[in-house]
Amino acid sequence: MKWKLRRISLLALGWLLLLLLGAAGASTTTPPPDLLNTTVAPFHPDHWLGTDTVGRDVWASLLAGARSTLLISLPAALLANLVGGLLGALAGFFGNTRLRITYGWFGATVISVLAAGVLLGPLWNSPYMLLVGAIGLGAVTGWLLSRSNWGRRLLPIPLDDVIQALVALLDSVPLLVLVLTVAAIQQPSLLGLIVLLICTCWTTAARLLRAATLRTVPLPFIMAAEAAGLPPLRIVWKHIWPVVWPVLLARMPLSIALIIGLETTLSFLGVGLPPEVASWGRLLASSRLAPTAWWLIVCPGMAIFLTIWSLQALTKAKTFNVTTEIDVTK
Amino acid sequence: MQLSRYLLLRLGKTTVAAWAIISCIFLLSRLTSGDALIRSVLDEAFTQPTITATERAQTEALLRHRFGLDMPLFYVSFSTPAGATSPTWMWHGTTNQYHRWLNSLLHGNLGHSYREDTAVTELLRRAMQYTLPLTMLAALLGVALTFELCIWLEYHPAWRSAMLSILYAVQAMPLFVIALVLLLLLANPDVLAWFPAYGLGSLGAMSPWEGGLGQYLYHMVLPLISLILVSVPGLVIQLSASMQLELHAGYVATARAKGATPRAVVRHHIFRNALLPVLPLLAELLPNLVAGSVVVEMIFALPGMGRLLAEAASTQDYPVLLGAVLLVSLARLFSQLLADVLYQWVDPRIRLSA
Repeated sequence: MKWKLRRISLLALGWLLLLLLGAAGASTTTPPPDLLNTTVAPFHPDHWLGTDTVGRDVWASLLAGARSTLLISLPAALLANLVGGLLGALAGFFGNTRLRITYGWFGATVISVLAAGVLLGPLWNSPYMLLVGAIGLGAVTGWLLSRSNWGRRLLPIPLDDVIQALVALLDSVPLLVLVLTVAAIQQPSLLGLIVLLICTCWTTAARLLRAATLRTVPLPFIMAAEAAGLPPLRIVWKHIWPVVWPVLLARMPLSIALIIGLETTLSFLGVGLPPEVASWGRLLASSRLAPTAWWLIVCPGMAIFLTIWSLQALTKAKTFNVTTEIDVTK
Repeated sequence: MQLSRYLLLRLGKTTVAAWAIISCIFLLSRLTSGDALIRSVLDEAFTQPTITATERAQTEALLRHRFGLDMPLFYVSFSTPAGATSPTWMWHGTTNQYHRWLNSLLHGNLGHSYREDTAVTELLRRAMQYTLPLTMLAALLGVALTFELCIWLEYHPAWRSAMLSILYAVQAMPLFVIALVLLLLLANPDVLAWFPAYGLGSLGAMSPWEGGLGQYLYHMVLPLISLILVSVPGLVIQLSASMQLELHAGYVATARAKGATPRAVVRHHIFRNALLPVLPLLAELLPNLVAGSVVVEMIFALPGMGRLLAEAASTQDYPVLLGAVLLVSLARLFSQLLADVLYQWVDPRIRLSA
């Protein structure tokens, strides 16, 4: 079993390495379309993977598509997991009662935000004065209020509820429909698409890490850290994060695969990327104009399939490793 | 907590979530592209240069009124009033686009399409007529196939690893790749031309409810297969893993000891217990299929919900887009609710906490 797993993950790693090399070696300028040879089949002397309906070389499009796929999916998956994981861990650790702020400073924050809102008009041309004024007002009110008895009482902040509500909000529409809608409205650039994917894909990581943190918090070493009087953020960072983050690591390839699937589907439907960026999805969409040109489906389809399959195979192998590691050390 | 009270609470929460997300999308769509829409319509209408500026301005005002864009967007705005130098907060009361939209939404009026002169509700009703049978059939067949496949795998453990490898491979293909490959293999005059490539045939205008069932089903085969292929592998992998876990439970040994056949043990004992962890996935199936129909209906050119959504998205027909998203999100929210109820029904030991 283990040997088979290793062979498969070697295969998967090999394909991903090829993909990386191809993406790095892809030319940044698109070669001009060969208008004499449109829709030629593979094994043509000039275009050995054929050309599409307007004469662009399929091999060059594949390489350029690999680069934009990696450029989008890697940062998007990394940041979505990181943001979601942090939010989840914070929600799991602080819950609804552990994060508390005194009434005095809470009131001061509200007052300074209100003051900033009111002064935004009159002080429109001098933003620094606005900033200094709002912060100064907040600091003075907070200091004054925290001298009273009422101001010293503690107000719990329902961090868990807030984050759960955000997750529920994003989960109320299927991911594909949500991304499709927002992408259609915003018509994002490459960077905009990455930001959009991060904003919509962080929920799974948050849910996973919240659950993992909830399992970790009752363990004795966290209680010991609390009893020793360590500040909460340090407990989260130094004691909880190292225990829970392997969950995220194991999930990483899967979320890259998910984002690749989303991105190619979007560009296939013609809403995701700006038209000048090459993409596997767009290459597949061009096959709609030439239904019998099998190479326009097989080449990019194979690339998408192999990439997602490799990432899934790596996930399986990695979960195997992580679970055994955890069994040994903990 | 009592079930009815729990359901009420959950319903309230899901309604709030649906309202919030739809409001966000509405505000986003009006904020970014209300003016762009007017400009594109004007440019299309006035190609000849003989139109004077006043005529153009008049037409623009008329268009704004027709699309309901002549009012402020929200209750408050932060903008520069005419004649002033710095922006201020302004209160607009209830005469704003958002209030009017929400009000008509609560009265069941989703507005008119920008492109066609049809009510959005009518468009949605027409589209649902095609999408509902497609997704329902796909869900039913998918669930049935999943159950039978899992039970079959339990009888034939030798096939298990090969079958799972195939399922993992199928799972690695996005829906549109599966659909395109099916088209290439089964609706291609060069390979096998068994099925029609797109549309609903000569009966295209007819809905599936009125006759022509055979023709309709014949055109539905490829869309159905692609939806089933994309939904079944995940379900089978989960359910089969959960059945493997149940295999070592004490009640299995008891059932075998009392003389139940292996077949009966799998079907009546293991299967029912293993179903519990898979319930949320099953409840997600229908909304996911609706989302998948976006892709399938685009590829097979079926006049359904998903195609309506995708076309509204690519042509920026926001009333239709918002209506479609609202419908999809309602389907999702109700299926989540259904999953909770089913949980309680299947295993009364589970305590619900909202």
